[in-house]
Amino acid sequence: MNPDVVAGIARLKREGILSSEQAALFGRVARRELVSVRVEIRALLYLGVLLVTSGLGIFVVEHHADIGRWAIAASIAIASAACLAWVIRSAPPFLWGEVASPSVAFDYILLLGLLLFASDLGYIEAEFTLLGPRWVHHLLVVASVYVVAAYRWDSRIVLSLALSTLAAWRGVSVSLMARSLGTGDTGALRENAVVLGLLYVIAAVLSVRLDRKAHFEEIFGNAGLLLLFGGLVSGVMLSELDWGIWLVALLVAAAAVMWISFRVGRSAYFAEAVLASYVGLVRLLFEPARFGDRITGMPFLLAALLGVGALVLVFAAYKRMVAR
Amino acid sequence: MRPDSIAWERAAEVRAAADGWRRAGAIDAPTHEAIRNAYPDSGVTPSAVWRVLTAVMVTAVVLSTFGAVAMATSPRDVGLSLLLWLFGAACVVATELLDVSSRLARRGAAGATSFWGILLFLGGLALLLNQIPAIRGDEALRLVLLTSALTWAAGCWRWGSPLFAGLSAASLFVLLAKVPYGHVLWVVVGLALVGVAARRLDDGSLAPSHRRAATVVLLSGVAAIYVALNVYSLEQGWLEWLRPLAPQRVAPSTVVFAGAAVATAVLPLLILAWAWQSRRTVLLDAGIMLLALSLVTLRYYVHVAPLWAVLVVSGTALVALALAIERALQRVPGRERTGFTTDALFSDDRGQQVLQILPVVGTLTPAAAAPASAEKGVVPGGGASGGGGASGQF
Repeated sequence: MNPDVVAGIARLKREGILSSEQAALFGRVARRELVSVRVEIRALLYLGVLLVTSGLGIFVVEHHADIGRWAIAASIAIASAACLAWVIRSAPPFLWGEVASPSVAFDYILLLGLLLFASDLGYIEAEFTLLGPRWVHHLLVVASVYVVAAYRWDSRIVLSLALSTLAAWRGVSVSLMARSLGTGDTGALRENAVVLGLLYVIAAVLSVRLDRKAHFEEIFGNAGLLLLFGGLVSGVMLSELDWGIWLVALLVAAAAVMWISFRVGRSAYFAEAVLASYVGLVRLLFEPARFGDRITGMPFLLAALLGVGALVLVFAAYKRMVAR
Repeated sequence: MRPDSIAWERAAEVRAAADGWRRAGAIDAPTHEAIRNAYPDSGVTPSAVWRVLTAVMVTAVVLSTFGAVAMATSPRDVGLSLLLWLFGAACVVATELLDVSSRLARRGAAGATSFWGILLFLGGLALLLNQIPAIRGDEALRLVLLTSALTWAAGCWRWGSPLFAGLSAASLFVLLAKVPYGHVLWVVVGLALVGVAARRLDDGSLAPSHRRAATVVLLSGVAAIYVALNVYSLEQGWLEWLRPLAPQRVAPSTVVFAGAAVATAVLPLLILAWAWQSRRTVLLDAGIMLLALSLVTLRYYVHVAPLWAVLVVSGTALVALALAIERALQRVPGRERTGFTTDALFSDDRGQQVLQILPVVGTLTPAAAAPASAEKGVVPGGGASGGGGASGQF
């Protein structure tokens, strides 16, 4: 029970702000006589999908020699098709606007079907070497299918997975289970992250401008800025020679993002830009200390002053954003 | 907590509920506005994004300033302790000043300064005790843990942060693990905390943040009891691991082992029964999590099937269970049964969906492919846990 809300409802009813019917319904929820288990069902579905795909992965690795590759490929394909058939049967018609899921389970059955499809494709590629040395491009195929599915069935979760799979194709990993900074040549990874980030940001802008699944904007936008700022900050922090160029690029990008997000009222983008530019500038402040005999307190003092400046900026931006 | 902070929190609870009613379309815009006028916000309360950003920047300012002074003065031993205390005290004073300002109180800055105030104080204490030869290392650690439990609890009481309640409980249980009969103490103190906290969850005389702190304490107590009683934890000596200087551990007797096995099985069911009876989703979540842990424990001791089969069967069972619950609740009149429903009611369903993206992307994304690499290594079934195509061994 939430005693403050229960008391509030009684007062609002007494003052005629809430009707008796409204007060009765809201009161039931506040007194915990009616409770939603939507989050718990979602958590069960997520865990279920995670366990099934993990179990399947282990099964294929352990038994691919005993069972035969055709049998394994066909079994996974049938399971994937069954999930996707259920999705197609239950799905509402396509719209360019936001479409509510017909059920809580819908997104997760779709997710399971697509993950099984991706597993099957990965297995077929591993066994039959269709793409040969260009095998990594199977991730592009998987990501493309995810994008189509995300748009057709209006799934933010699948779109997020599509964007992270696309990043994985270019060598940038966002998986908690794998090396989080990706693998391969750092310079190439950084460039890939920046280019992909820019592409995602453009997709976010186009989603809104063209009014095509405009609610996907935050997924594209946050993924894009994460990659863009991640790449630029990595350039500033890890480059030995050309870190100054990366810093200029970072500050220009951060300023642009702050300005645009301020104008369109997107606080998350603004926050990401402030944090990224602060981290980049801290490198600049500590740069002279790298060549001195000992670190002095000056870079720390300047970093503190920079933090105070960032706080002033944050407070002023919030005030203006609310006023708009 | 200050009386005006409590009053603000109570009004904020009603405003948050009204936002949910409006989001669900249960009230119109004029009614929403009337409620906001009846329960006005006396200060400036930005969204969580702004508060987190402010807290991060305040953290950067505090730590950078400390670094600057420490570098400039180069204090040693006791001097460094005093400097830590000085900064801790400054943070506490700043918190009190921020707390009385209606423009600055709930913007994330006070939360950050209170956190660092306590942490710097504890750091100074630990360093100081380490300098006193008369106090042995393990005694100093116990003293720091005791002070930590008390200080975080006092911080929670003063500033109303549920995080501080969790840190206080964690310090207390680590301290209890460092004395003899740790298992027994974890169960006894865990039960006591659960008993005390459970009575406070709906206590209207407490501030809303103190009720949330009671929920954190309750969950900490449940977790402590489970860890102390879990048969795997008992056998592996998890609590003894926190007490490295303890006498050689003896293996648990058959009776103790059997009792722990029964407790491992029964405790999650008790929590789930309590959740069902009280309709508290937080207990339901805890019960589901403990049940999952107990099933993993069971799998460790009883090999009923190969790992892949256990994972596929249990995953399929979970999906089927979720579908069955959803269907059962949606098919009854009013879409509710014994007080449970799958409707979002007045919660932020869209926000919850966005939050669920993080674990999905974090665990189901395939591992990155190295650019320009022709080395093959695709694992069907996905990344480390099913991301659909990943670089591993095959």
